[in-house]
Amino acid sequence: MARAIAGVGASLAIVLALTACGSPPGAAPSASAPSATATATVTADPTPAVEVPVAAATPSPARRPVPPVRVVAASIEVDVPVVPVGVEAGGFMELPADPAIGGWYRFGADPAASDGNVVISAHVDSPAYPIGPFSRLRDLPVGDVVEVTDAAGDMRKYAVESVTYYPKAELPVDDLFARSGARSLVLITCGGEFDSRTGRYADNVVAIATPIT
Amino acid sequence: MRKKVLAAIAVGIAAALSVGVPANASTASNAVLSVLHGIPDTPVDVYVNGALTLDDFQPGDLAGPLDLPAGAYEVALTAPDATDAGSPVLGPVTLTLEAGKNYTAVAHLGASGSPTVTPYVNDTSPTAAGEGRLTVRHVAAAPAVDVLAGGSAVIQGLANPDEASLDLPAGTIEASVAAAGTTDPVIGPAPVEVQEGVLTIAYAWGSLEDENLELAVQTITGLHSAPDGVNSGTGGQLAQRDMFQQWMWAIGGLAVAAAVAASALVVARSRAQR
Repeated sequence: MARAIAGVGASLAIVLALTACGSPPGAAPSASAPSATATATVTADPTPAVEVPVAAATPSPARRPVPPVRVVAASIEVDVPVVPVGVEAGGFMELPADPAIGGWYRFGADPAASDGNVVISAHVDSPAYPIGPFSRLRDLPVGDVVEVTDAAGDMRKYAVESVTYYPKAELPVDDLFARSGARSLVLITCGGEFDSRTGRYADNVVAIATPIT
Repeated sequence: MRKKVLAAIAVGIAAALSVGVPANASTASNAVLSVLHGIPDTPVDVYVNGALTLDDFQPGDLAGPLDLPAGAYEVALTAPDATDAGSPVLGPVTLTLEAGKNYTAVAHLGASGSPTVTPYVNDTSPTAAGEGRLTVRHVAAAPAVDVLAGGSAVIQGLANPDEASLDLPAGTIEASVAAAGTTDPVIGPAPVEVQEGVLTIAYAWGSLEDENLELAVQTITGLHSAPDGVNSGTGGQLAQRDMFQQWMWAIGGLAVAAAVAASALVVARSRAQR
């Protein structure tokens, strides 16, 4: 019995000690040594004054993106499948060979991501294929709706905000491929003059659409 | 020696402890610090300016990252069951932290097994689009090692406390660590994911002799770069069609103009004949 009481006493001492250690809200973090009272309660284990993130140094699984699989812009008769793509040799965005297939930049945001732009691009044309649906991107009216469906079956709507021609060397890649900030849909293809010697168009045509919530 | 180690830990942790907030990128006037505890079997408590900041910091744990103003921090280390900083096992020590860099201070065993601390500067410079960076640090009581990926050595003769870095295409590599010049793994093989735009730092820590070699992993995000551009048309058919249509319009326009002119002429003539 005496032991039990002693135990209760010890518990109370801990509670008191904790109370003594706790600063009232708004008070400056105490830099002074714990009070004599707290020191006297030898069983009390203090708690940290500030929160420092500590975790086991083990690999943290990266968030698995949910790739978009289809993009539809009904007003310009675009309805194309979309596949994940990366970077081609030389540092340019990789694209499906067939202009009728869109490529989603898999290192950027996916439609479900909380941050960053979803970039989908397709060839406007290619020697071995007919002219692609993205050739009509330039005719996409501001305000029209573009729908993106992802591999989980979720469909998201975006409202077209702008369609812009950029000379290729001036394409604002850091903004278009941003990993943080706005969650815009960025559709890219080519346009403008074609240089048959280089096999390249002079411009990129870029449509930017913002999520409709 | 133990004191020295603790001092080293104190230095690393001191920086981590003050007014830090989690952060991944250093700003102009701040530094970013993480602290890895890589000495087996030695948990500690860490006090900064008299306040307990890391309670029961365990081997294998990583504290931070913390965004810290440059400056000096006073740190004391105690046994994990201490009730205050009154009787530190080490310290207080003063740490001066330099601005503009991303550090990981690692408390670890030297090659011969004596504890030490190594402050590493993490290479957070941008990676190319599509690539990530892998840094391997030898912080174990063990001889020089090779790092093998898919069975072949990608890093050779790495000795404690050296580090080696590789920029690799994003993906998962099957990595293992073997004594230099051999292929028989002492750690792994284990999958190590190289994420695009992410610095993955793998630490081999512990002691070969005590058979407690382990792998610790730290990741730092935000190194990514955008692709150089988008070449999204190589056929030229659209441009051809556009040009053809322009010609058709032009020809059509000329035809219309000619027709109008012809009619006008006819009308004029018929009037003249009246």
